[in-house]
Amino acid sequence: MSSKATFASFLIIGLLITLVLIAAPVVYAISLSFYTMDSFVADPDWIGLANYTRVLSTSAFWNALGNGLVYSISTIALQVIIGIGIALVLNQTFRGRNLVRGLSILPYLLPTVVIVLTFKWMVDGSIGILTRAIAALGLPPIHWFESPQAAMASSVMVSVWLWTPFVTTAFLAGLQTVPASLYEAAKVDGTNAIQRFYHITLPMLKPVLTVVVLLRAVWTFNKFDVIWLLTGGGPVGSTEHLAILSYTTAFTKFDIGGGATIATLSFLFLAISVFIYFRIFPLDEEES
Amino acid sequence: MAQVKLSAVRKAYGAVVAVHGVDLVIDDGELVVFLGPSGCGKSTTLRMIAGLETITSGTLHIGDRDVTTLEPKDRNIAMVFQNYALYPHKTIRENLAFGLRMHKMDRAEIDKRVSEASSVLGLDELLDRKPRQLSGGQMQRVALGRALVREPEVFLLDEPLSNLDAKLRVKMREEIARLQKQVGTSMVYVTHDQVEAMTLADRIVIMKDGHVQQVGAPLEVYDRPANLFVAGFIGSPEMNLVEGRVVQGRFEADEFSIDLPKGMAAEENSAISLGIRPEHIEIDETAGDIAFTADIIEQLGAQTLCAGSAQGVGLRVMTTRRDDVHRGSGFSLRFPANRLHFFNTETGNRISTEH
Repeated sequence: MSSKATFASFLIIGLLITLVLIAAPVVYAISLSFYTMDSFVADPDWIGLANYTRVLSTSAFWNALGNGLVYSISTIALQVIIGIGIALVLNQTFRGRNLVRGLSILPYLLPTVVIVLTFKWMVDGSIGILTRAIAALGLPPIHWFESPQAAMASSVMVSVWLWTPFVTTAFLAGLQTVPASLYEAAKVDGTNAIQRFYHITLPMLKPVLTVVVLLRAVWTFNKFDVIWLLTGGGPVGSTEHLAILSYTTAFTKFDIGGGATIATLSFLFLAISVFIYFRIFPLDEEES
Repeated sequence: MAQVKLSAVRKAYGAVVAVHGVDLVIDDGELVVFLGPSGCGKSTTLRMIAGLETITSGTLHIGDRDVTTLEPKDRNIAMVFQNYALYPHKTIRENLAFGLRMHKMDRAEIDKRVSEASSVLGLDELLDRKPRQLSGGQMQRVALGRALVREPEVFLLDEPLSNLDAKLRVKMREEIARLQKQVGTSMVYVTHDQVEAMTLADRIVIMKDGHVQQVGAPLEVYDRPANLFVAGFIGSPEMNLVEGRVVQGRFEADEFSIDLPKGMAAEENSAISLGIRPEHIEIDETAGDIAFTADIIEQLGAQTLCAGSAQGVGLRVMTTRRDDVHRGSGFSLRFPANRLHFFNTETGNRISTEH
């Protein structure tokens, strides 16, 4: 085979995989939002933008969008703060550092369901370690899944637990590229540790931070399993975000068009957000 | 400006001793170069002066102050790093001003100092650029400027020219010497390049394995190296060193034999080494003492360097340019008595002679 033919065959295989596994389902899902269907086997009826006007006029949609933003922003903020903190500690020299670094990645390797079940066990009303610790401190019991705020807090906590190792690893890799001489120059220039963090560490981590926040934002906004397993979107929709609303609309209420519309709107919202994000924080900072 | 005084300054990492007690006084306005091979402790000593390494034992004074345990920021020093260590996300202007800002200096004074330094170093055009848009030489000048604006009591430079190409290195070397004389601030300069040390230093501190080998003016260490290590390290091409013995008032190695200077304190049959610099060996076609055959001829333009053997001993001889020497050419050599160095082979120490 000539090199041109080899090149073309690799290209075609790649394009086919993209088409079949990504483009086709996306286009199909978007197209569903212009139809009304009572089930996946029923004949679709074209209704144009009627699904959109209907979905956008429901309070459930706006509630889910709001929940998604609260969940994503608080999860990412905590992950970044805790992730940088742990990365700074793991970047120091101490005995057993490699072991601790290895252990710190563990939660990321566990299946979501294990983390969620562990958390549920920890906050169990009678035997949960957190429940007992709170009682021992003389504090009032927390109704983790009954109170809207506590349910959102537990969703955020579990997500932070699950994903902070990824953020830590990314920041640790970033920290290791910062030359030690920059810190030394800053020491000679008269900075204290906090000033060095703001003037050296943070700006040097900016490229990693930009990518990490972007990835985490996209993943968290679409994250389904944590909340579904933990609260199912409840109580009374207080942790229901767009991914869950889209799922329940399509698969429990059998409003396929409505579910597809919510998914499409979620996709559009993310796409526009990513576009704006890149305008504010361009990845390529080279100046002309 | 101030005197820097190191008293028995020592650095140990656990059981490994990097610097074994350095005693040194660097006078106000003096340029002292720490010279030695990798791992000799020169950079560690500099970093202890800077406060970037703790001092295991001993004391360090800058001016009247004991700064042994002070943080770098409280020592009133400025440092230039080998890799420049410019803040990549800050403009050149911000890089220059950063240290002054951190010392809470008045804005107008910062602007004045930055503009003075940038005009002295020719950085005016670069002030709004980022370090990555600069060439190596320009970055080096910014690093110097950052030290200059601080107007410290001591400048510390850690192999500042080793990342530059040979031509730029010579140019920057001159610039550093000029700057230092201009501002008159004490400077400690670390290098492994003996040419840099010879050309820049008021005094050279030669180090090996954490020990100071010799402290002296460039020509002093060149003319009277304290031991075999210094003899071999200073000078280019390096000094010829021949191991031999004292036999009836003469130095002998194989067939090679030469009179010892009168009054030299060396016991009969003791192992000593003879040193003579290639440029100090004279070619005398008629009245030479020792026959020499050239194996390799290196034409350097103004000089000719011949490597070959003289009565079984390998030697290098440097003369003013000679176009008539070829591989296999034979000469007669003369070893001027006042250019000979003798060392105790066992201890490596210089044996004093009358001259």
